[in-house]
Amino acid sequence: MSCRLGAWLALLLIPTLCTAAANARLNLPDFAALSKTASDSVSITLDPNLLAMAARFLDSKDPEEAQTIDVIKGLQGIYIRSFTFDTDGAYRASDIDSVRAQLAAPGWTRLVETRSRKTHADVDIYIMVDKNQAVGLAVIASEPRQFTIVNIVGAIDLDKLHKLEGQLGVPKLDIDMTPPEKRGVSKSLAPVSPPPPVPKSP
Amino acid sequence: MKNDIESRLREALRPVAPTEDFTRRVIAQATAKSARSADRSGGAASRRLWWLSGIAASLLMAAGVYQHQRAQREVADGLEARRQVLQALALTSQKLDLAYETVKSQSSSLGDPEAGA
Repeated sequence: MSCRLGAWLALLLIPTLCTAAANARLNLPDFAALSKTASDSVSITLDPNLLAMAARFLDSKDPEEAQTIDVIKGLQGIYIRSFTFDTDGAYRASDIDSVRAQLAAPGWTRLVETRSRKTHADVDIYIMVDKNQAVGLAVIASEPRQFTIVNIVGAIDLDKLHKLEGQLGVPKLDIDMTPPEKRGVSKSLAPVSPPPPVPKSP
Repeated sequence: MKNDIESRLREALRPVAPTEDFTRRVIAQATAKSARSADRSGGAASRRLWWLSGIAASLLMAAGVYQHQRAQREVADGLEARRQVLQALALTSQKLDLAYETVKSQSSSLGDPEAGA
């Protein structure tokens, strides 16, 4: 009886999870005008079928590629738009406004916001969480000659991402992996924050 | 005179039993005819069989070529998807690294007041 009830509950929950993941997909413009002026442009659209196909062509015997397979296994899509220009200021901040507006919608939380006066690079990292599980990730990186939008949809396991750190060029992100109950906050929402200043000894 | 003609006609038209040679020739001719006709129909059937075999072989070859091309296309698509996944992860990590570097440089600036913000 309880098994049957569990199965019905699972059936009812599947569409809910799918809807949450579907909401995490941003409507990325094709930036047709910018792609004409850009010296280099990257447009990646990987739906679940293509991700599954890519996983088949990754070598599971190779430790790095095996971890990549593990990371993309729960994903429902990876969408990237990146444009590089020969000159500074070839694009306007308003070009990305439509994407930023979508990230202002409920569900999305800004995890990291960095502004570099040195390199004039601004990076915003957003995350969508559903039932303590990250179901969407968005990165907007604006540099003087380049802007990149990354949208990853699906069950993003931060533990697996943590394991990937230092491999495939993925940096150490200092993601706090302490269980949420010990910190009193959701693990998925642990921000990357600078450590407190260390007082200099006299 | 009349009787003479009649008797000559009767003589000429009298029933004659066929010779043994005649029977043999008729039978041989009939056998040859049926053999020729059997040969002709057998050749047509053989030709039809050849045509069918040719068509079947062509269809098999076309199916094989199609399967091969499909497999090649799948491999090409798979390798392209793999390349895109690796490029996507590399690009993502590059941008995450950019954020990390900014955070790191700001934290070191905060840690060392002489370094300047």
